[in-house]
Amino acid sequence: MEFTKLFSQSEVERVHEASLEILENVGMLVRNEKALQIFAKNGCQVDMETMMVKFPRDVVENARKSFVPTYTFTAQDPKFDVTMPGDRPIVVTGSSAPNIIDPKTGEERRATSDDIANIAYLINELPGFDVFSISTLADDAPEGQFSLSRFYPALKNCKKPVRSNTPNMDDLKAVLELGALVAGGEDEYRKRPFINHHYCPVVSPLTFDVESTEAVIYLLEQGLPVYGTIVPNAGMTSPLSLMGTLTLGNAEFLGLATLTQMIRPGAPMIYAVLSTVADMRTGAYAPGAIETGMLQMAHTEMARYYNVPSGGYIGLTNAHSNDAQSGYETGMNTTGALLAGADLFNMGGLLGSLMAFDFGKAVIDNEIALMLKRMKKGFEYSEENLCLDLIAKVGPGGSYMDLDHTMKNMRTIAVLPKVATREMRRRWEDQGKPDAHSRAMKEANKILSKPNKSRFSDELDAKVRGHFKGLVAGDAKWSL
Amino acid sequence: MSIQDVYDAVVEFDIDKVVTLVNAEVASGTDVSDLLSNGLIGAMDEVGQRYSEGEFFVPEMLMAAKAMKAGLEVLKPLLSQGASEKKGTIIIGTVKGDLHDIGKNLVSMMMEGAGFEVYDLGVDVDTEKFLTTAKEKNADIICMSALLTTTMPFMEVTVNAIREQGLSFKTMVGGAPVSEDFAKKIGADGWSTDGPGAVETARRLTAK
Repeated sequence: MEFTKLFSQSEVERVHEASLEILENVGMLVRNEKALQIFAKNGCQVDMETMMVKFPRDVVENARKSFVPTYTFTAQDPKFDVTMPGDRPIVVTGSSAPNIIDPKTGEERRATSDDIANIAYLINELPGFDVFSISTLADDAPEGQFSLSRFYPALKNCKKPVRSNTPNMDDLKAVLELGALVAGGEDEYRKRPFINHHYCPVVSPLTFDVESTEAVIYLLEQGLPVYGTIVPNAGMTSPLSLMGTLTLGNAEFLGLATLTQMIRPGAPMIYAVLSTVADMRTGAYAPGAIETGMLQMAHTEMARYYNVPSGGYIGLTNAHSNDAQSGYETGMNTTGALLAGADLFNMGGLLGSLMAFDFGKAVIDNEIALMLKRMKKGFEYSEENLCLDLIAKVGPGGSYMDLDHTMKNMRTIAVLPKVATREMRRRWEDQGKPDAHSRAMKEANKILSKPNKSRFSDELDAKVRGHFKGLVAGDAKWSL
Repeated sequence: MSIQDVYDAVVEFDIDKVVTLVNAEVASGTDVSDLLSNGLIGAMDEVGQRYSEGEFFVPEMLMAAKAMKAGLEVLKPLLSQGASEKKGTIIIGTVKGDLHDIGKNLVSMMMEGAGFEVYDLGVDVDTEKFLTTAKEKNADIICMSALLTTTMPFMEVTVNAIREQGLSFKTMVGGAPVSEDFAKKIGADGWSTDGPGAVETARRLTAK
């Protein structure tokens, strides 16, 4: 598959050059002490007082030499391990929403650890999703267990790679302790680190924060998997032009990539972004806007220039219900990104620009994911697939229905959707005119009404619960 | 030359003109509190109105607030001589762990534009700093902002601390992930979706 290109080679090179100029002349504000020291030790010009760091171009170019082209998400169950770019597109849930649309009442409310358990189980079962990024917060978290109350129900109910963030070092260490416990020891865990850490250490414009940067440094030093997403918002935290935002975001990626490679040369990275254009009428955040998809396509082209996997939060929606807007925003932006060659799609399950999880939305996004994967699989060009002998055999006026060739391909050549309807109108009316959301909720109900076979074993669960006193239950429980 | 011209200059967000006109009004002996309430604050009310109606975009509201502030700077030395009563004192900041401050800055400017005395503590502000400053400045309201969902819990920490220490500060919370339900749940006194709404809420909370 040839990828969509937005720029000529010289334009790509100019964006890279311009990014180097920004890093060298404007620099970045680095609010984390350790990061300042790392930058100073490795050839950046650092002013410890103002926390300003300037990056000579050869320092950035030197870091580029150790970029690697692949990134792996490790799972509790090795059969769910995925590596980019080979397994692209990697489809991930959107994460850390404070709220959920209650599956019974349809009303938005704060999400809990029980919700996370249900979502984890659902994502484990939906074939379009590759990685479970913990979709919500847990409002019922006991004091001191903010992150454990998210990671425990997630790991307990989902064997796919689990991804999320932590707000501080104490939480991060608790989560790693949980990982080691589940793996059967720290060494075992390090062989297969199935918690995939993600942070947004760069706050646009051009600023490294304190806590997330600390976590990123720690994980890199420990040799554990971590990557960051760059999040400029045109008109607010970056220039109100697509080129300006692309270039600023690219400079910020290079800044983070330079820090990453200084700490651990060869550390796998993802060129991940959520570059957006703010709605200047109100200042509203607009991740569902078409410009988000355009910016993702451009960043992906830059990532290809650097030969690192790319993607980000692409396919989000601003819609507050699982409606047409939700579908076209997710559909159009992810299609653009896929065609441009993006590898990672943080897209599933959230409404209201990352504010609330919706079960129906997750099921529809699973279907969109399957469509994206179909698109990526492409036409499978070959002489055999031209089917010239078949065309000659059937001839004009015949039928292909009863051929072995058709029987062989009929279950695999097309996506067979569970949500999209292909019924005749009359049958659909007889079924009570179900819309896409209600068909999706039916699918969710079908999956979640059965007990979760991928749950922790009782022995493991007893061990975890014995270690962390007062943990939330973390069990998938479903009734509509 | 009149108070109306000052008003118009703010609505047209012409900073230089506002400063020139305010200076001229002061020199010609116009009542300072009249100038403040009907010229500067009145203009910002209209700006808020135009924003709510979709006529003004956010950058225009921001520029108008800057123009208003420039005019206010001229008046400040005169106001402290007791020419006008304060609307209330506000402590504002982005909570601990969070560096996102664009919305907070806008609210801060709008509050000043509405005549409140505002102490902006910046970003990454912990409970102790909020409370120490609030006590020091004898504040009416502590306003807390967060963009990250993971830093929202720090709002509750501050609200609880106020309650536990038996302090009388009112609290307001805002930021993209903050909802009315959340505000109610943590026991905050006020909440708003945008800058003009925050000003309205602050006025309500400080109404005697």
